[in-house]
Amino acid sequence: MNGKIVVEHLTKTFKKGNVQAVKDVSFEVEEGEFFAFLGPNGAGKSTTVQILTTLINATSGKAEVAGHDVIREPEKVRRYIGVALQETGVDPDLTGREMIELQANIFGFRKEEGKKRAQELLEIVQLTEAAERRIGNYSGGMRRRLDLALTLVNEPKILFLDEPTTGLDPSNRMAIWEELRRLNEEVGTTIFLTTQYLEEADSLAHRISIINDGEIVATGTPKELKAQIGNDLITLTLKDENQQAEAVEYLRGQMADVDVISRHNKVLIYVEEGTKQLLEVVRLFDQEGYEIEDIQLSSPTLDDIFLKITSEKKEGVRADGE
Amino acid sequence: MGNNLWKDTWLMTVRNIKTTLRNPFSFIPNLIISAFFLLVYEGGLSGISQLPTFEGANYLAFILPVSIVSAAIGGAGGAGQSIVKDIENGFFSRLLLTPASRLAIVLGPIIAGMLQLVVQTLLIIGIAFLLGLEVVTGFGGILFVLLIAVGWGLAFAGYSAGVALRTGNAQAAQAGTFIFFPLIFLSTTFVPYDLIEAQWLKIAATINPTTYIFESMRTALIDGWVFWDLMQGVFAILIVCTITITFAAVSAKKAVSRG
Repeated sequence: MNGKIVVEHLTKTFKKGNVQAVKDVSFEVEEGEFFAFLGPNGAGKSTTVQILTTLINATSGKAEVAGHDVIREPEKVRRYIGVALQETGVDPDLTGREMIELQANIFGFRKEEGKKRAQELLEIVQLTEAAERRIGNYSGGMRRRLDLALTLVNEPKILFLDEPTTGLDPSNRMAIWEELRRLNEEVGTTIFLTTQYLEEADSLAHRISIINDGEIVATGTPKELKAQIGNDLITLTLKDENQQAEAVEYLRGQMADVDVISRHNKVLIYVEEGTKQLLEVVRLFDQEGYEIEDIQLSSPTLDDIFLKITSEKKEGVRADGE
Repeated sequence: MGNNLWKDTWLMTVRNIKTTLRNPFSFIPNLIISAFFLLVYEGGLSGISQLPTFEGANYLAFILPVSIVSAAIGGAGGAGQSIVKDIENGFFSRLLLTPASRLAIVLGPIIAGMLQLVVQTLLIIGIAFLLGLEVVTGFGGILFVLLIAVGWGLAFAGYSAGVALRTGNAQAAQAGTFIFFPLIFLSTTFVPYDLIEAQWLKIAATINPTTYIFESMRTALIDGWVFWDLMQGVFAILIVCTITITFAAVSAKKAVSRG
């Protein structure tokens, strides 16, 4: 048993509608690592987590979690993982304390041990005051904190969290982030988190895989991902929007080694040396008579990276199709 | 750690009993309806037991099985209801992610439903005694009636759990309980077989396994220990249980499988 996740050529096709939700996905997560799966709705994040947590079977490929094969030894995997999925809920008629005690007893804690563990966890997620209330009366934030407590009952080696902060207000989100950081740093729990929020992955994860349309399109540390697409980002808006397509083509012709992306009414330019190339862009546009309304220089955020990678992919597909 | 069928079944059953008791409206209406059957039919129809076909039987003892079967089906239906509730609010998925025995996850609500049934049946029998019930076979006969109720409840629990696991949908499970009406009323519900007028109802009553449940309970309550008359209910239970429990098992296997 270890705290690792090893995934090789994982594929999942749903018979219903013949949808290929996960396409040949491979990655590894080291023991004690904080790993994030980042992607939009329907990218295949949840399906991957459901396979890794033994809820559904893969169509093909292999996955090992905590040193056990998820398909052949699901019982063993279940002992060592803590899971909070979008699909998992609680019994609203039990109190928070009863729910945790039940979970503890299922995981083999004896009665007294289970009571002790429940008290510890209630304190960690700050639900002691609400412990005797029925879960049906909990707020969304309290439910999510209870969810987290439930995943920790068996002191898991690996924690799987499927969009744990979606729909939460900022203060509840921060509370969850803090607890996850603590678990990862102090307890050494491996964490696999999926999220749609780039800032969440950026601020929490050691390493990120970006998944889109069932495929991993990029993997690296937040820093690496930023570096991969250039150090700086120039964002500009033209005075005359109608010139944008033409201007982008022109710029691509003139600056062969930089990436230029057109998005809504903005032109995004990923460059190596921001200040120098900013001046070059201004000079080139000035020469051709494209009037610039607004121009900014910044370090790319994961948001920008995400846009770049997914739009590159789309353009690639379109080019193939033509 | 974990994976102990008995312990897990115990945990699941206790939790189901707890949540049932916290939702009194999940069982009180059914209990009232069953008691209502007993009171109203006894109050309104008991005169017909003067007819020679009744051979002097007490109408209260005649109508009691209807009330008991109604309570039993209601109690057993609770098993399906709580499974549907668990599937809908995601608790079922959470249980599947723990090392808990898969069998225990499904057995818990069924056992809790059976216990609910026993309590409801005993309450109904208690009410009947208050109304002046007399049983020829005495305590043993009551025990037999209770066993038949449990057996028939189990058959219905298999059906309701099967529908619940297959659909995972409260409306579908609710619709499934409508089978209650033909089961109870297309039978020798109010009068003995010979007194049923319409030919179609006679045919329906012959096909309806509930008829054999009613008749076997009535034998114990009214006629005494007539072996083969008692056994017709046992056979009906064995046949129907085989079908519905298989249906439940196949549905359960599908629900906990990882497709």
